[in-house]
Amino acid sequence: MIDELLFFMEVLVGGLLAGTMYSLVALGFVLIFKASATFNFSQGAMVFFSVLAFCGFMQDFNIPFVLAFILAALLMVIVGLCTERLVLRPLMNASEDTVLMATIGLGYVLEGLAQAAWGVEVRRLDLGIGDFPVPWIADNLKLFISALDITAGLVAAIMIIGLFLLFKYTKIGLGLRAVADDAGAASSIGIPLKHIMLLVWSAAGVVALVAGMMWGARAGVQFALVDLALKALPVLIIGGFSSIPGAIVGGLIIGATEKILEVYIGPFFGGAIEGWAPYVLAIFFLLYRPEGLFGEKIIRRV
Amino acid sequence: MNNNSTNILDIKNIEVTYDDVILALHDVSLKVPKGKVVALLGANGAGKSTTLKAVSTMLASERGKVTKGSIDYDGSSIQKQNPSQMVGLGMVQVLEGRRCFGHLTVEENIISGAYSRKLSKGDIDQELEKIYSYFLRLKERRKSQAAFTSGGEQQMIAVARAMMAKPKMLLLDEPTMGLAPQLVAEIFNIVRELNQKEGVSILLAEQNTNIALKNSDYGYIIETGKVMLEGSAESLLNNDKVKELYLGISKKGRKNFRDVLKEESLNKRSN
Repeated sequence: MIDELLFFMEVLVGGLLAGTMYSLVALGFVLIFKASATFNFSQGAMVFFSVLAFCGFMQDFNIPFVLAFILAALLMVIVGLCTERLVLRPLMNASEDTVLMATIGLGYVLEGLAQAAWGVEVRRLDLGIGDFPVPWIADNLKLFISALDITAGLVAAIMIIGLFLLFKYTKIGLGLRAVADDAGAASSIGIPLKHIMLLVWSAAGVVALVAGMMWGARAGVQFALVDLALKALPVLIIGGFSSIPGAIVGGLIIGATEKILEVYIGPFFGGAIEGWAPYVLAIFFLLYRPEGLFGEKIIRRV
Repeated sequence: MNNNSTNILDIKNIEVTYDDVILALHDVSLKVPKGKVVALLGANGAGKSTTLKAVSTMLASERGKVTKGSIDYDGSSIQKQNPSQMVGLGMVQVLEGRRCFGHLTVEENIISGAYSRKLSKGDIDQELEKIYSYFLRLKERRKSQAAFTSGGEQQMIAVARAMMAKPKMLLLDEPTMGLAPQLVAEIFNIVRELNQKEGVSILLAEQNTNIALKNSDYGYIIETGKVMLEGSAESLLNNDKVKELYLGISKKGRKNFRDVLKEESLNKRSN
């Protein structure tokens, strides 16, 4: 009995922590959705591009870890700057659908650039944190939990707190929330949309880098990271597209349920339900709570 | 550059086109003297909002363009400006339909108006207190989410937010739309007070002809993108045609100035 309970706990905690990896990816989407009400299809490519650049700096130029991280983060700010200048500003008055299509194109450009610059082979990324159970926890709590999962959880927590403080208590955060509510009214009182766009695309770029490092350390830095980012879609549907806490909770829910379903219900379906179970969950949310758990309700006075 | 001119805003013969084809304004000229309230009157679709947006340069975001004429604000042309630069120059538009930031609190909404100014926390608090002295109602509701306040309160938020940018000139687009008569009066009292105590020049688009003229110094009446009549507020209030067409004291079923002109030309011909 105790063993079963321990096993369940292990599955649950492992799932929750793996979920924070989804949360990290989803965060990038939320940032951009808040500012421009667009699902940024290039987020996956940004993850791939940023982490490949990071690996490139470290492995091809022997730049130390911290410096490589800073360089890659700066590179993502430059990507944000170029995106704002070359893609978003010309499309300033275009419909949201047009911007959506533009992000798909941007994704291809980033994928191409990344591979042209750093090559196409899978790279191994060693963060110095193993993807194996932490002995101390295994000995004392009898739970087998990966050190990488715990790190991802901590990193996600730090990023959330940082972003929350940024949005709630800074001037540019207030500007971003104003733009998220009504971009036209925001520009009528002199909030410069281009600064806000630059901020969110840069922030989304840095978040993509961090997410990419976590995933890259687990699965190798490779092209598959682009598609992996689509796992964020059910996370966003559950958490709400415009909510940062939603991205986190959505990620945790997806992580935990997919592991639990895989272990306990998977065998009846012949296994491997991890891949599609989150989408089934997402469909239920779309039916019964389309704004997601934390999504901003469309407020209508009656 | 002529900064001594007495007009803070001088619009000369502008024509505005949307999407390069739809002609919204034909020939609008108007002046706003410094420190005065000028009313821009007309029915739906007459071109009031388009005129205001041409001035605040917000036309571009709706694919509109000033294709002829000129607009001078505070002595220089606004041709090359964008909305946030205009706010920096002290020209703020309060958009039609209030457009508050629904998920922000009342106070956050108002503070957001100071975005373009470099103020310390203390300065902002000081400015806030000053703004609240005009909008007492808002102070009570400062912590509420703006979306849950009443229509009148939302209009006050929108004006308060614009005042936070420390404007020299306000463009108010139908501030009384859909409000109860009592609130309409309250809003106009505040507008008048802001004009007198803060010295803000105001260009006001309204359908509510009577109360708008009573609270203005000068008025323009536009129809289908053209200025049909202008004059001091008092003369417009006493003008028979205005009475008939805009104040609802109608005879003969004439609906607008075009009908009047048509009738007059017919009369001339028959004479």
